[in-house]
Amino acid sequence: MIPVLLGVVAITFALSHVNINLLISEYEGRIHTAQARQAVINALHLNGNFLEQYLYYVVAVFTGNWGYTAPSDIDPGSPVVLEFMRRFPPTAELAIVATLIMVALSLPLGILSAVKKDRLVDQATRLLAMFFYSIPVFWFGLLVILIIGPGSKIVPPWLQDSGTGQLNFQKYAIVLKNGVYTLAPWAVQGGLSRPTGFLVIDTALYGDWPAFLDALKHLMYPSIVVGVTSFGVFVRYLRSSMLETLGQDFIRTAKSKGVPEKYVIKKHARRNSLGPTTTIMGLTIAGLLAGVVVTENIFGWPGMGTWLYDAAVSDDLVSIIATTFVFTIIIVIANLIVDILYAYLDPRVRLE
Amino acid sequence: MSVSQNKNSAGKSEFMRSLMSRFESFKRTFYFLTRSPLAVTGLIITIFYILLAIFGDFFVRGNPWTMVQVLEYNGQYIYNTPLPPSSTFPFGTTYGGYDIFNGIIKGARVDEGVAAIIVITGALTGVILGSIAGYFGGIIDDIVMRVTDVFLSIPGLVLLIAFMAILGRKLEILVFGFIVIWWPGYTRIIRGQVLSLRELKYVEASKAAGASAFRIITKHLIPNAIYPVFVQVSLDFGNVILSLATLDYLGFGFAGQNLAEWGNIIGLATHGASGVLSIENYPWTVTIPGLVILIFVLSLNFLGDGLRDVLDPKMRR
Repeated sequence: MIPVLLGVVAITFALSHVNINLLISEYEGRIHTAQARQAVINALHLNGNFLEQYLYYVVAVFTGNWGYTAPSDIDPGSPVVLEFMRRFPPTAELAIVATLIMVALSLPLGILSAVKKDRLVDQATRLLAMFFYSIPVFWFGLLVILIIGPGSKIVPPWLQDSGTGQLNFQKYAIVLKNGVYTLAPWAVQGGLSRPTGFLVIDTALYGDWPAFLDALKHLMYPSIVVGVTSFGVFVRYLRSSMLETLGQDFIRTAKSKGVPEKYVIKKHARRNSLGPTTTIMGLTIAGLLAGVVVTENIFGWPGMGTWLYDAAVSDDLVSIIATTFVFTIIIVIANLIVDILYAYLDPRVRLE
Repeated sequence: MSVSQNKNSAGKSEFMRSLMSRFESFKRTFYFLTRSPLAVTGLIITIFYILLAIFGDFFVRGNPWTMVQVLEYNGQYIYNTPLPPSSTFPFGTTYGGYDIFNGIIKGARVDEGVAAIIVITGALTGVILGSIAGYFGGIIDDIVMRVTDVFLSIPGLVLLIAFMAILGRKLEILVFGFIVIWWPGYTRIIRGQVLSLRELKYVEASKAAGASAFRIITKHLIPNAIYPVFVQVSLDFGNVILSLATLDYLGFGFAGQNLAEWGNIIGLATHGASGVLSIENYPWTVTIPGLVILIFVLSLNFLGDGLRDVLDPKMRR
């Protein structure tokens, strides 16, 4: 994990320092004078040699000094860490629900298609998985919008997105209070603050049920889009892992000594095939996060993906680097969790 | 793959014989592939798309890189009102008066050409690095694998957007960024294969006969480890096209707004318009280019899945 982190920092360093004029001009803001340039160069230690710059960069990254977002006409620019605190919860919310949908879809389907190998269920599942694996995420998102849009004849009105009276996700703000950045009161019910930043959890905690249902509706469609488009890979791996397990001797032994089929699949085969499949979770989550970036853009979800998109459109170098770094850290941590989960699922790993 | 012993070719040169045996094994692979209806469907559609990419340009007018813009039709100014599919515009027009059919035909060459460059270069890089890492092992292996770990933990699309935004929206930057993302997968596949192959007797025999590392890798290891790469290439070709379309849809493609690229055509329909209502009124501007992408990627996946079943003897039914 440590070498991976260092490597990622090296890549973000290379990305942020390859176009040095972009970096300097972003920190300068609107003041493009020689003095301002010199001040930025001094502050970022850009006049040192390569190693010196890298050292300063690494120290800055690990001390939480990630720079400032680029100022614009409406936004004077804020510390990247602050922007991260505002953008991260929505993305985490979307990604977690999408992962749950993905696992809920792929676990039964993968096991079913392995057990009923070459039967109609298997063929249909494989076809379905391949279909959703091949569909462009952004196109699927647009189709969902077409289906749920106002005045649609396909879904009932209560499932439609009216386009008006939406929840304002940015109602809260993070402010400096007694030297600590904290979440400011949420404006829906005066005087309340947001404990988690997760829209669904917060509204439920405050018992604001209309807002909760609205939040659920807003969360549902993007997470379905992300979950459904990324479950194909998982099903494929689960099926082949399950088939491999089912072909092994201990399954035959269990069957021949009269253990019921249901019990064999549940206790013997499933547990053994889940272990190898979890190792693929890390890669699946990388694909899922790419889907999250696109889906956030399409559904206007105010998370990391939208931040990355806005930053890339406005050449906001520091924000681009920060989002890249955070997405990578998410995957690194996800891989760590997967390793722990693998050890939990497979006692043989724990022994080693 | 087993090498068939053909007695008639005993008199021919070694090169001809190896060519014959390869052809034989290819014929057998092809036979097994035609047993699966899905793989055949995939193969036919893929061939159709490739022919479209090669010859499609001769049937449509205009610059092969850009879409044709029609501003006036039947005395009506159509910049902001997409026309539905008709005999003049088989797939209709999109925002800005761009002819969708024209763009899709040209997009076949643009998309498939760029994807082919990316996948082939990525696979070559991966094969070379993976076989070296797998054969020599030790510190070289460690370094290469750590580097692939790093690249595998960065989400590809995010890194690509960063690349395009920072280094400029040019074709060479795009291709470079894609290769940076795509080589680690191939490296891993080849390395795993080589690791199991290098312990085999014939590699040992070759080593004992004094063959150089270069000869062992190119002559014995790569030809035997390459088949999973073929499968991966056919699957990745579709993935690259998906990523390329996504990138262009978001507006981080390698050329201007009127680039004839499938994702860009969808992007025109949504970014040119001002929101949801507009897509609802003109659904063909989104659905048709998306279907074109979906059908191609789906058929590539059918083909890749069929190839995997055929080339992996354990999976062959």
